[in-house]
Amino acid sequence: MADGASGSAERSVQVKLVLLGEAAVGKSSVVLRFVSNEFQANKEPTIGAAFLTQKCRLEDRVLRYEIWDTAGQERFHSLAPMYYRNAQAAVVVYDVTKASSLEKAKTWVKELQRQANPNIVIALAGNKVDLVQPSSTPAVASAAPESEDEADDATATPGEAPASGEVESLRQVPREEAEAYAQEAGLLFFETSAKTGEGVVELFTEIAKKIPIDQILASTRGGAGRPGAAGARAGAQEGGVNLEENAAKGKDSCNC
Amino acid sequence: MSTISTHLRNFKEPTKEQQTHLFFALPPEKPIGEKDVELEKMECQASLVLSGEEVFAGKLHLLPPYLAFCSLDRKSARFTIPLSTIRRVERLNARAGVYALSLSLYHGMKFVIHITSLRPTADLFCSLLRDALKVELQRGRMKLVKSFVKTCYSEVLVASTENEEKEAEAAKTDDNSSSSESSYLGGLGLKFKFPGDPKKLREASKTKLWTTYLKVHGRNLTLFRYAQCTRLVQVGLPNRIRGEMWETLSGSLYLRYENPGYYERILKENEGRTNTATEEIEKDLHRSLPEYSAYQSEEGIASLRRVLQAYSFKNPETGYCQAMNILAAAILIYMSEEQAFWLLEVICDRLLPGYYSPSMHGTLLDQRVFEALVHRCLPILYDHFQHVDVQLSVASLPWFLSLFINSMPMVFAFRIIDCFFCMGPRVLFQVGLAILKINGEDLLDIQDDGGFIQLMREYFSKLGESAHPESSDPRARAITRFQELLLVSFREFAVISDDTIVSERRKYRSEIVNSIESFSKRSAIRNLKTLARFTKEQAGLIYDALFKAICVIPPPATAFPTPALLTTKDGGEERPETRIGLRTFKVFLSEICTWARDEKVVTNGVSSRIERDVADHELVDRLFFFWDTSFRGALSLQDLVNGLDGVMFNDLMENIEWFFNLHDKNKDGYLTKDEVLTLSESLLFIFRYEVGDAYLGAVSRFMSNAFEYGDALLPRPDDAEPNDDSTPPHIESNQPYMNLATFRMVVLADEILESFFETDFNSTFKLEPVPLDLPSSNPSVLGSLWSNIATDDNKKFFNIVTDQIGRTIGKHQIYHRPAIGKITSLEEPKARESLLTPTMRHSTSQASLDNKASESSTNLATASVSTSSSLLTVDTPIPKSKISPAEYSPMPSMLQAAANAAAYMERTPFAIDDAKDGDEDTDDESGVEDDGVMDEVDAFLEEHDTGLTDADRELAKDLINAEPV
Repeated sequence: MADGASGSAERSVQVKLVLLGEAAVGKSSVVLRFVSNEFQANKEPTIGAAFLTQKCRLEDRVLRYEIWDTAGQERFHSLAPMYYRNAQAAVVVYDVTKASSLEKAKTWVKELQRQANPNIVIALAGNKVDLVQPSSTPAVASAAPESEDEADDATATPGEAPASGEVESLRQVPREEAEAYAQEAGLLFFETSAKTGEGVVELFTEIAKKIPIDQILASTRGGAGRPGAAGARAGAQEGGVNLEENAAKGKDSCNC
Repeated sequence: MSTISTHLRNFKEPTKEQQTHLFFALPPEKPIGEKDVELEKMECQASLVLSGEEVFAGKLHLLPPYLAFCSLDRKSARFTIPLSTIRRVERLNARAGVYALSLSLYHGMKFVIHITSLRPTADLFCSLLRDALKVELQRGRMKLVKSFVKTCYSEVLVASTENEEKEAEAAKTDDNSSSSESSYLGGLGLKFKFPGDPKKLREASKTKLWTTYLKVHGRNLTLFRYAQCTRLVQVGLPNRIRGEMWETLSGSLYLRYENPGYYERILKENEGRTNTATEEIEKDLHRSLPEYSAYQSEEGIASLRRVLQAYSFKNPETGYCQAMNILAAAILIYMSEEQAFWLLEVICDRLLPGYYSPSMHGTLLDQRVFEALVHRCLPILYDHFQHVDVQLSVASLPWFLSLFINSMPMVFAFRIIDCFFCMGPRVLFQVGLAILKINGEDLLDIQDDGGFIQLMREYFSKLGESAHPESSDPRARAITRFQELLLVSFREFAVISDDTIVSERRKYRSEIVNSIESFSKRSAIRNLKTLARFTKEQAGLIYDALFKAICVIPPPATAFPTPALLTTKDGGEERPETRIGLRTFKVFLSEICTWARDEKVVTNGVSSRIERDVADHELVDRLFFFWDTSFRGALSLQDLVNGLDGVMFNDLMENIEWFFNLHDKNKDGYLTKDEVLTLSESLLFIFRYEVGDAYLGAVSRFMSNAFEYGDALLPRPDDAEPNDDSTPPHIESNQPYMNLATFRMVVLADEILESFFETDFNSTFKLEPVPLDLPSSNPSVLGSLWSNIATDDNKKFFNIVTDQIGRTIGKHQIYHRPAIGKITSLEEPKARESLLTPTMRHSTSQASLDNKASESSTNLATASVSTSSSLLTVDTPIPKSKISPAEYSPMPSMLQAAANAAAYMERTPFAIDDAKDGDEDTDDESGVEDDGVMDEVDAFLEEHDTGLTDADRELAKDLINAEPV
């Protein structure tokens, strides 16, 4: 966050991204995993929405994610439009151990597709996969201390320590089901673990690839400078997105 | 999946009495039935006279069990004291003409009040005061004061200074002993330390100032608030008495005083209970001020849990809302659980009404009000925000929702909260405006929401720094940014008063209610599992009808979790969903279905109106249970959509089958004899206002045919053993009797029934815009003006008057609108038809006469009144069968009324008209005679009517257009 507007300010593209999903699916944890490497146990409660930024390098460009991490409680739902308006990307998070959270995710997707910016890039993320995997999963190399992450996760799902023997039984949403739905609805799909870091960086990288950066850049230079308007305009002339297929590179460079 | 709430519409502006009540921070009154004694309230002009000859003119209020006073300017002097703290009241022998009372209070204070009202008023006030005091004495409240004030830290504070004075040397030891024996309540801060550096906060000197103030001007229950009190609060309350002062200033103290033991009780009664609210609370416990050490310990977490749970048990409708955890965590630092519980109650109920409710309407409303105030006070900034499309709320929402606690460093937030409890909600607006004003120049550079948030974050992080670091004056350098903020808030935005907030809220309330309602409508429809064959717009109309029904008759209140809500076990997760009971369903159906309502068209020569009542018949009940496919005894929006889908898109055969199934209670594919009878009754019910006897005849034919065929077809295929008797076997009235095939045959045997099931039945279901003529939906000035004039009562009165006029001039007419109304449209051409085809003329001589008369008028086809009116009546079935919103506007109905009136005047002798005009005017004998003829005519017209009717309608339309009445 601190390295905000300095440096390659000219080249960086602002992307507004909003996180939605049922309460306690781990939205905040996913963002924290992505945003802060040193992982200060920043458990600022989400009132309305928390605002965070993170830069992400994609080839020669720098994306500056402006992330709005919304409150998950049902009654904050009516405030959500305030945050997702003008957003170029949305991550709808659900909890793989809770079937109902996928239902809620679907309603969010429906709402976004009808009410939000028409060219919004939507990704569906099934979080907490660490709970349904054998514990041997290698954690993605990251500087984040494991214990703090765990503590944060504990706020979301109190007292859920899976015995490694019966992990699969905790899963309530089969990967295939969610993937099929994502495909049908035209969403990016990832299973993630904020705890181990699995899939988180990939998630944001793939979103970055799908966003029509050139148009945003063009229209930002063109004067109006608002990402929302830019995104809308950019999408209208769809097509010119030309990103090299190099996921690994993007992934590595993204941990800035 | 969704809940439908109408409570926003039930909002009423507080009455003047309630406003007084709110102003003095009194606990909400108990409902009238629960009071032991009804004590009268009274107010009178009075002056508070202080010993230093200072006099405050104001008003004295007797609001049993409280006595309250406020100076005229509303800020220089006020108090709210429980009557039980009054120890003595004396009438002073003062100068002539002065009515003076001297009151002594529990804490030993004495004060003098001059009642400046007229003598009789003063006498009355005193006698009421005496009565109220007596009641308090009888209730034993006086004795409770002593034990209650012991829970207040201010007692300890004042006592310690008194000790010091008396025995200066022994002060220290005495101090220790007194503090150990007292049982005052305190917060987590006592153990886990209060935030901030006590030296920096100048705790000692603040405490001293307060000790003096509390000693002189009363404390806790007997606090007198003068301007000095407010000034001291603005400097910041000392940590030790902060909790108690919050209680006292906000009035939550009175709640705690009146409800001893309540907090413990509600926790005990609900021990171990879990629900959505408690689950949500669990999730947030560790996310509430996590940086404060108490909330890293189980002790602090447990306290927080208990307070939040107790609140959710007490207020199941609000339950728990994120941000309440932060509030509760914050206040628990300074006060005990019980104190925090009551303070939370006051915050959520009175200070920030509707902020934490499920719709969060209070939050949205105040955000709108804040926006309006920014527009007014900081127009340049507002325009810039508009220009770059930045929404204020992204930053300001958390300010209001969590009282700045997680926006700025806690020490500063608490100082704002001090002012908030002392001066009320306007403080939030004032501080919010001041923040924007101070950062005005930087804010003009921001380009988007993100920049706005970032800037605010930086500003808040530097609140402790000097506001004028470059200044040469060391005194100016010493002013922190936070001090500057408060200064700007209360100096420059002093114009923002309580009244400003109240009136702004009033202004935007309906806008907010409308947007919330349309939002929940959109999401309710989006969340339907299926729209069936309806379009989104149609589903919206169904929603509207449901919404209106819920407004009229709210769904049955279940005790828990919230009224109007039943929860479904859906994937292991409880999701509240609004379901309606039978009574609400009746209203709903009456909005959509023509036979489910009784509609009377009343014309009285002045105006015409439609009086609509909800019809009550077993058929409606039957439909309710028919649609209740999950057997819950209540229907959701989805059930209604599915149910309507099952009936509105049917063709002839499907309709017959649907009707059959509706009456086949045990779904065995057979109707019993009883059910056949019920079915006939249902038909009769649907046809109850149809004109003429055709439908009656059809139903009676149906019955005789049904039993005839039924008997003939019955036994053989079904009964394994053929019966011995050769005569049709005796079937018990509750035995399977008639199957669908037979039923279909019987229906198709009758033309009227056939046409009914083919088209008419479908057309009795209509999705039309529902006029939600409720007060809050008039945003425009003119609209609200009109709604003020056109209140329901006024309308009723107007109707009564015009009815009277109508009766006097003989133009008062009432007729029931038929559910189908097809016959009316048939009869008009019928008359003409018979002209063209002489074969039809075996009607009574009277009828033929009529026909001639109308022939002449038709042939003439001039612009004469009689012709146009008769043609107009031809046209009436069109608007009649549709309740278009236009019909509620006076003009078309006036037009129609005039037309009707003209029709009656011109054509009363016409037999057919008599039939059409319904029961009141029908000549019974001729009706019987005509019966056969009518059937024949009907039969003929069945084949020929459509084209002619259309032609007639065309003609009529042309005439209407050509010649406005």
